[in-house]
Amino acid sequence: MCGIIGVISKNDEKKLATITVQCLERLEYRGYDSVGVASMEGNELEVRKAKGRIDEVVKRLNILSMTGRVFLGHTRWATHGEPNDINAHPHTDCTNSIAVVHNGTIKNFRELREDLESLGHKFKSETDTEVIPHLVEEFKKRGMDSFSAFKSAINSIQGSYAVLAIIKGENKIYFAKKDNPLIIGLGDKMNFISSDIPSFLPYTNKVLILIDGDVGYITPDEIYIENEGKKVNVLDRIKIITWDASAASKEGYAHYMLKEIHESPRAVDDTISGLISDIEDVKNAIKILEESKRIIVIAAGTSYHAGLYFSLLLQREGFNVIPVIASEYYNIKTNQEDSILAISQSGETYDVMMALKEFKANGSKIISLTNVIDSAIARQSDVKLYTRAGPEIGVAATKTFTSQIAALQFLYSLIKGDDYTYLNKAKDVIRRSLDFEGEAKLIGEELSAKSNAYYLGRGLSLPFAMEGALKIKEITYLHAEAYAAGESKHGPIALVEKDFPVVFINLGELVGELQNNVQEMKARKAKTYAISVNERLNTDKEILLAVEDERLSSFAVTPIIQLIAYYSAIKRGNDPDKPRNLAKTVTVG
Amino acid sequence: MKAVVLAAGKGEGLRPYTEKEQKEAITILGKAVISHVLYGLKKAGIEEVVIVTNEHEKQIQDAINVDIPFETVRQKRPGITGAVLDGMDKIPDDEFLLAFGDIIAEPEFYMNLMNSYITGNSKAVFSLVPVSEGMQTYGLAKIVDNRIEIVNEGSTLALAGAYIIPKGDFTDILEYFKKISPFSRYFIWSGKWIDIGYPEDIINAIEVLLSDLNNSIISDKAEISKTAVIGKKVIIEDNAIVDDYSVVKGPAYIGKNAYIGNYSLIRDYSSIESEAKIGAYCEVAHSLVEPRAEIGSKSYLTYTIVGREAKIGASVITVSYPANPVRGRERKLGALISPNEEIYHGQIISPNYRK
Repeated sequence: MCGIIGVISKNDEKKLATITVQCLERLEYRGYDSVGVASMEGNELEVRKAKGRIDEVVKRLNILSMTGRVFLGHTRWATHGEPNDINAHPHTDCTNSIAVVHNGTIKNFRELREDLESLGHKFKSETDTEVIPHLVEEFKKRGMDSFSAFKSAINSIQGSYAVLAIIKGENKIYFAKKDNPLIIGLGDKMNFISSDIPSFLPYTNKVLILIDGDVGYITPDEIYIENEGKKVNVLDRIKIITWDASAASKEGYAHYMLKEIHESPRAVDDTISGLISDIEDVKNAIKILEESKRIIVIAAGTSYHAGLYFSLLLQREGFNVIPVIASEYYNIKTNQEDSILAISQSGETYDVMMALKEFKANGSKIISLTNVIDSAIARQSDVKLYTRAGPEIGVAATKTFTSQIAALQFLYSLIKGDDYTYLNKAKDVIRRSLDFEGEAKLIGEELSAKSNAYYLGRGLSLPFAMEGALKIKEITYLHAEAYAAGESKHGPIALVEKDFPVVFINLGELVGELQNNVQEMKARKAKTYAISVNERLNTDKEILLAVEDERLSSFAVTPIIQLIAYYSAIKRGNDPDKPRNLAKTVTVG
Repeated sequence: MKAVVLAAGKGEGLRPYTEKEQKEAITILGKAVISHVLYGLKKAGIEEVVIVTNEHEKQIQDAINVDIPFETVRQKRPGITGAVLDGMDKIPDDEFLLAFGDIIAEPEFYMNLMNSYITGNSKAVFSLVPVSEGMQTYGLAKIVDNRIEIVNEGSTLALAGAYIIPKGDFTDILEYFKKISPFSRYFIWSGKWIDIGYPEDIINAIEVLLSDLNNSIISDKAEISKTAVIGKKVIIEDNAIVDDYSVVKGPAYIGKNAYIGNYSLIRDYSSIESEAKIGAYCEVAHSLVEPRAEIGSKSYLTYTIVGREAKIGASVITVSYPANPVRGRERKLGALISPNEEIYHGQIISPNYRK
């Protein structure tokens, strides 16, 4: 996912750079690994772009000083091609006369690039997008007018796209749309075209939502659209947004967190197919893990729980795996015979970086699993693996955790020599669990009224008990602790009194033992809850999830613990997207 | 965009009350249920509303106090499907918003529906809401691939009662939903939401609506005795009278020209609507007293609904438990007294009594 914006004004609008940057800031939720802006005034076309977050890049490249009547902007979320200054959009042709921003994926870009290179075109980046300006350049060279050249370029590409292009000397923004959103905003002597409505909503509420197959151009006072070669009656499609649509980027959900929980099936699926397409990296990672004497898994927060789950899986296979909380890395001395698996959603977690620095100096081999392509941690690694959950805006990790579990389970299955295709069903298991949202809400609302809670699990359930407790601490501000269920009688049970809430996570193994723990808690009059797979614990309230393939049990439980935390947080009136005292990326020690 | 609002249901869960008054016309916190819907629709940018009604058309027209252009049509074809078809006939556009008139939700519910529609580039959007009680009373949906599937059981996600759908030719609305679901979007509504179908929903609605209140809002024009005690979460409207030594502990709503008699206690999520009269020495908790209803002195109302212009005699006691409400989380439910009914003095009324 990326965010794109085009702004075109009749007047020599000095503030156009500021407007473009403000639009980009509102599009940041669509991606934030690199950013770029193109401006055009008459025969001057300038591009400034770099890796980094919007505020930082805008300052460093002094983007607000750019002038012109036509602006393009792009905020990127890399899926292929590392995020760096060169791969950032806009992309230009050989003569720097055509600038293009693009959101989507061009499937046939390799063939197109080869063809264009054989015709003498010089490419600067690794991106799929760069073929578009070169195609337009090529068609223009063959004598086509600009619009025909643009249309021919669009007809040449296969895949998904929302594309904007500007051509030196033309006061126009060309556009085309297929499968990715693109919306025109009709302002006063100024028109906009963007990935979403909220980006330009402060300037105009008159919008035209483009549909697949639309291709055309905007000028400061004209909109021209064709679809399947026929001119579209623009007036028929203009809509006035008469309500406050500033939350439209949440697509109907009240919070990003809930939207992102519901995006988990897709995030998991994209993660698995991403790993399959990077199978050589996966194989390299497995080789390193299998050949090392010890495997050290380092991570912090939610990622640590994913790492713990992976550690338990491998320990059961006889591997020597040590899960380490990143900030406690000084307790372990690694050597050349060790391999390190570093897990971090952002790929920038300070504690993990510090640990890696030390372990690398010790000569240990490093494998990373991050959600951001070519993140700082990935760059420190011998093998870079990725989850492909897309950008996550809610501070509390949800779909990225589920994606980490998917990636690690994929790795584990290959190590074990299992056929990994069962993971294709993970998305359906998650979806089935989402159907239990009403029951999760009920439990969450009950917990919201409490001041303490225990989350208990055994075996593979324990990391999920820990994650459940962390989630509810993060956003509900409810004091919750997780323990190995068998450990509870060695201390924690002393706190249990009438109606003390105890949530059991039951992945369907060690059920008899867990049932005993439930009885211990019931004997103290605790209020018992369970999230169970396939077999009941007979707690006071229990969500029973049926999972055919027990290897996928974790995917059933994960959305439920997240939903419980979400509904308990909103019952308390908290904003789950922005919990107090927490930052999405922890870059401090 | 235009909206079709359905307000022609039989209200079976609220019988016999609904034989006299259409449930969408029931007033909660000074606003009829249908006005809660219309207020949300207006906030969501809906320009015009077609309201489908039955023989209680006039009640609906009178109940609307939201400034939005609307027309009412009498339902001719049978069932919900017929109601949608009759309303849809008045819609000139390709797509429209279909709203159930008996939903109480925040305006954001409707705004988010529009947001999902404009960001989604699809002709249909369904709203879903998580539910956990009285599952058989809701239309349920499952998420399959990236769309919804209408089911009878096996899900806790209910159809939330506001959708954007394209006009179409259909003989069964649920079948039509199934037909369009492959190219529609959905979102989960996680905010306040109550489907008014049973007495417990009305009791719950008062609680949900008043739970947002942080401070009391008292009209300058209300006449409050110096000896009365007003709690922290209380709304008192113009010309309401709170007489000597009464306690409006709240959270509570006291409507225009309502009267709270000497030494009475109004507490815990009660709504006393306009021109209703509560006699002396009464206690009211978790109850709705509709406009112009009268409660005799020394009466106790709990989990009870008293209809418009009904008369409750002196020393009437309602009992709220044990009861088994269809959708309630608590096992409490008092009486449902229909508009214009009378309860004789000194009665002790058992749980879930209906008249």
